[in-house]
Amino acid sequence: MKNLLRLAILISSFIFLFTACSYGKNSDISNLKKDTNKNKNLPVIGENVKFNPNKLINNGKPISIELWTWGDKELWQGIVKGYTYIYPNVNIKVVVQPWSDYWTKLPLSLRGNNGPALFNVHNSNHENIINYMAPYNIDIASLEKDFIGVKSHIENGRAYYIDYAINTGNIYYNKSMWKEAGLTDKEFPKTWDEFTQVAKKLTKRNANDKLIRAGFNFNGTAYQALIEGLNYQKGELLFKEDKKTVNFNNKTTIENTKYLVSLYNDAKVGSPDFGDDYLQSFGNGQSAMIYGWGSTEGELKRLYPEIDFGVFETPTPTKDIPFAYDRYNGESTPGINKNAPKEEQEVAQDFVRYFLANNEIIKTLSLKVGSFPAKYSLGKDKDILADPALLALSKRVENYIFPGPFPSTIETTSGKVFQNIFYNKVPIEKAVDDGENQMKKDMKYSTFKSVEDKYKFYSKLKDLHD
Amino acid sequence: MDIIQLRNKLKQILSLKNIVLILLFGYLAVFLIYPIYKAFIGSFHYWNPLSNTYKYLGLDNYKEVLTSQTFWKSIWNTLIFSVIAIFFRVIIGLGLALVLYSKILKSTSSFFRAVFYLPTITPLVAVSFVWMWLYNPQIGLINNVLGLTVNWLNNPSTALLSVIVMTIWKDFGYAIILFLAGLMSLPTECFEASSIDGASKLQQFKNITLPLLKPTTLFVIITSLITYLQSYIQILVMTEGGPGTSTYVISYLIFDEAFVKYNFGTASAMSVILFVIIAILTFITFKLSGERSVE
Repeated sequence: MKNLLRLAILISSFIFLFTACSYGKNSDISNLKKDTNKNKNLPVIGENVKFNPNKLINNGKPISIELWTWGDKELWQGIVKGYTYIYPNVNIKVVVQPWSDYWTKLPLSLRGNNGPALFNVHNSNHENIINYMAPYNIDIASLEKDFIGVKSHIENGRAYYIDYAINTGNIYYNKSMWKEAGLTDKEFPKTWDEFTQVAKKLTKRNANDKLIRAGFNFNGTAYQALIEGLNYQKGELLFKEDKKTVNFNNKTTIENTKYLVSLYNDAKVGSPDFGDDYLQSFGNGQSAMIYGWGSTEGELKRLYPEIDFGVFETPTPTKDIPFAYDRYNGESTPGINKNAPKEEQEVAQDFVRYFLANNEIIKTLSLKVGSFPAKYSLGKDKDILADPALLALSKRVENYIFPGPFPSTIETTSGKVFQNIFYNKVPIEKAVDDGENQMKKDMKYSTFKSVEDKYKFYSKLKDLHD
Repeated sequence: MDIIQLRNKLKQILSLKNIVLILLFGYLAVFLIYPIYKAFIGSFHYWNPLSNTYKYLGLDNYKEVLTSQTFWKSIWNTLIFSVIAIFFRVIIGLGLALVLYSKILKSTSSFFRAVFYLPTITPLVAVSFVWMWLYNPQIGLINNVLGLTVNWLNNPSTALLSVIVMTIWKDFGYAIILFLAGLMSLPTECFEASSIDGASKLQQFKNITLPLLKPTTLFVIITSLITYLQSYIQILVMTEGGPGTSTYVISYLIFDEAFVKYNFGTASAMSVILFVIIAILTFITFKLSGERSVE
């Protein structure tokens, strides 16, 4: 008897040990009420993708699911609250993981069939999660009528996620430094040559010629985003004709990198050793201009509220309209776990419909991440256009190119190229060549296919190269 | 066989010892032997668990790894990292253990013991973030206090060294505790006898303390070696292997290959090679210390 008891204790300890780590499932339904009110007398929302709240979810029975994100917990809780207010039998627990952890934990938990029913998507990890995603139960035609760029997200006739906003780069400047340098709002540089001159004016050195303020700072991760934009401006695509092979080692990349090197070495508007992060340096009032994508605005407001900054459009090689002003990337709508229990998927599908039909949500999120809403009906929204970064974007929103959800190695390896050139003093040509080889190696088994040819002004490429 | 005999036989089988053994073997099989086996077999495949790809490649992964500059750079960095960190961990650990043992500090000895040990129990990620701030070229304490303009973590000549300094600072407390325990267990008669024979403190240290502390020193070296050959968290947080590949260490490379690129096959091949390297180094360390013990 004693032995049996010991055996039971040992076995249960082992079972406890082996099953203690389970996540993604949220079964806390103790505080939820059964919903019996089918007709809630609430209006149907949405233009083409419509959300009708007058129904029961999960037959009104209590249900709890998880939504994983790497972002702002309060913001997502607010969005979720709007939905659970309609359906008191539903609980959606928002779980936040830091970005780097998120992209390790999410794919592995989806693979292990214990992932969350709903999760935020970033298209750079498309290949790691797409096999575990359920398609939206929404017809493509309605999505296309409401949102920009749906086509590039269709796989086998289904949408697994789309863009709710368009994100790209702009130049952020410190308003006080701008004024102090005697610059006015009419002097926003249009070309890169003008930009260099402005950056020089904003640069400050002390009596010993020591840099005390950088006119322009791109240390850290800025190069990896900027170089693609600079290349697109000159009509250099990121992928070759087969749409699979990366096109990084080319004359344009080298020429553009040389320009960036010259900004530090010749124009002396900054230094690779002047802070190791462009955003932090700008936030600490040590750099006057930076190149940043949409999220920069939100981060500056959150981390450095005392900095008074403005935004202007990224300059171009000449005053003519370039092939594309920059690359854009979408801020993705939530994904649904295809291996989640059916009833959880039902909630997730309904939540996604609520999300897509709700203009307030799209607007709030777009403003938060400093991105232009991909929903046509919000294109001329007053609140959107009151935002300096989005106003800058709105003027030329159609002239940004989307290469597709390419694997993250393109950006991370470009970051290494920057480090090799600026810190390890590797010659530009060799660093770019090494970078392309690394990208090719990492993408050897990738199923990615570029959608650069779907860009509205793709045909202009011929004129440029003729 | 009657029921009583059967019961006794069953009792014998279900003895606590057997149950524990079965469970431990089960545990080892599931959590140790199977993963090692799986990684070894996986090292001959293109293996991406997320896309359910598992394609036989023969020795391609090994060829790729062994001809990769980044791999050898990582191996070299790992060795540099381990040797320097172990050397200073032992020297500082032993030195401070002697100071604490010598009663120079008298009643404050336990206070210092606690203070020195504090970094060891502080999470490595938190410590790494604090040191990143210390090393910051613009707002960091080190540059501001010393009046320098060094970009510690982005300069290829200082980046790895900066991470090593942080690691030594975090870890020497562990060595102090072990050396202190070793010193406390030394037989006092040897010291008394040598004092009567007129041996100086230095002679006592060289001829009695150090030889008697050999097992402790060996233990510190081997556990440190195994730990440092597998270190990657500080690299992940502080440099992400940069600038370029200047601070790549082998475990970080494996992590990057497996959990960023999800190329489990190549990561497994690297792990197998790392396993062999650790085994060889541990064997050499044991062999050398064993031979010296015989001498």
